[in-house]
Amino acid sequence: MGREVAESCVDGVVMEMVAAYCGRFYASKPELAARRIEAIGFQVGHQLTERYTMERPRFSDHLEAIKFICKDFWSELFKKQIDNLKTNHRGTFVLQDNHFRWLTRVSIDPSVESIDANENDSTSLGDSAAQTTSMLLYFPCGIIRGALTNLGIACSVTADMSNLPACSFVVRIKT
Amino acid sequence: MVVCVAVVGHQNNPLYLQSFTEADDALKLHHVVHCSLDVIDERVNNPKRNSPALNETFLGLLYPTENYKVYGYLTNTKAKFIMVTTDLDVKDADARNFFRKFHAAYVDAVSNPFHVPGKKIASRSFSARVSTIVRSFSSGTTA
Amino acid sequence: MPPPTAPKSGDALFASVERVNAELFTLTYGAIVRQLLTDLEEVEEVNKQLDQMGYNIGTRLVDEFLAKSNVSRCADFKETADVIAKLGFKMFLGVTATVTNWDAEGTSCSFVLEDNPLVDFVELPDTCQGLQYCNVLSGVIRGALEMVSMKTEVTWVRDMLRGDDAYEMRVKLTKQVPEEYPYKDDD
Repeated sequence: MGREVAESCVDGVVMEMVAAYCGRFYASKPELAARRIEAIGFQVGHQLTERYTMERPRFSDHLEAIKFICKDFWSELFKKQIDNLKTNHRGTFVLQDNHFRWLTRVSIDPSVESIDANENDSTSLGDSAAQTTSMLLYFPCGIIRGALTNLGIACSVTADMSNLPACSFVVRIKT
Repeated sequence: MVVCVAVVGHQNNPLYLQSFTEADDALKLHHVVHCSLDVIDERVNNPKRNSPALNETFLGLLYPTENYKVYGYLTNTKAKFIMVTTDLDVKDADARNFFRKFHAAYVDAVSNPFHVPGKKIASRSFSARVSTIVRSFSSGTTA
Repeated sequence: MPPPTAPKSGDALFASVERVNAELFTLTYGAIVRQLLTDLEEVEEVNKQLDQMGYNIGTRLVDEFLAKSNVSRCADFKETADVIAKLGFKMFLGVTATVTNWDAEGTSCSFVLEDNPLVDFVELPDTCQGLQYCNVLSGVIRGALEMVSMKTEVTWVRDMLRGDDAYEMRVKLTKQVPEEYPYKDDD
């Protein structure tokens, strides 16, 4: 077992990073803040794959790499695997985590929980807590994209949080 | 003894190259490293059907020259590691062990937040660590 | 009030919290610093932001610390410093700090860290010599102490990333707010 730190340390820096980018630096430009948060995640994912694939044979195809993200990679980060993996067999993969740890641990205003799960309209998510949550999710999206990119898979990653605290990450492989 | 080691990125961009000889044969060694990249590509793109470990990172002996033996290793992130040695009788396990340590040093070097992926590895501690690994390999196999 | 319980040892405390790979923490922090340097350009501004982030984190971590450690009110700054060094650092980072170099008045001291998970893998490039890479830590200390009514100034004295033999931050108590400070109720 390698070195460990309290989980609150990770929660703390992630939350503060999101708060700094959305509040202090790019308060009026959320799309810029999102891009920066994603870039930070990208670097982390890129580096983590380098570490976590160290002792294993090379993956032979995309599916094998995606499965690695769902199982070993996710377990290292969140002590659980992705709960459900779906694919359309045309380069889109949906990775669903039924209890995404950063959404359950990171303090979010309780009013978000009461939002109707079917109400996917972004205008109804207008309150700042929900916005913070959606900004936070750019970070794990960046991590996944960084990890896959380093494994030679160019892709885009988006998050769907219409079923909190479940969260789905949609990976679209670029062809 | 190990005369040269190299790390090459997934677009065959050189990330690190260090020779360990007094002699003025840097050019020759660069050439040897360069040739080995083609051998790696060939191996990976046209794997032998009944090769026991198709996707193993350790690629083994890439090719022997008159004076050297060249070993290769390919990571999951498509970084190529090359080791050129004058030892003609290298045990497989020793070569594997060498690359395992070399790989670990590389992973720590690219974990530096200021390292830019695809750019040369400028880290002093990486160089020092690689030198140690090279020295221990040379003393281990020639003793 | 809960019945008085003996404070936990640092090891027991660390064992009792949820833990994660230090790599995730180290790499995340590193990526944040790298991105801040790109976006803010001025190294001084990056130092300031890291300190601010630390301060905010510190004000929250103190609650978790008090809840889990069974530490009751510390008598003075000296005792508080000891608790932070032995229990605080251990509970969150898994390492202990030593408290040294007290001044005669007992209002400033140094925390010395020989092992610091924040900097695993880090090598500062020559271009950011003015960067106080660990400023988040000094910010955390400042924020946490402020929540227990102690205003402090925290500065870095030694930094292994610049070739020193340890990490040392100087903590100076500038003002102790009276005890009756009513921040506890009305949440």
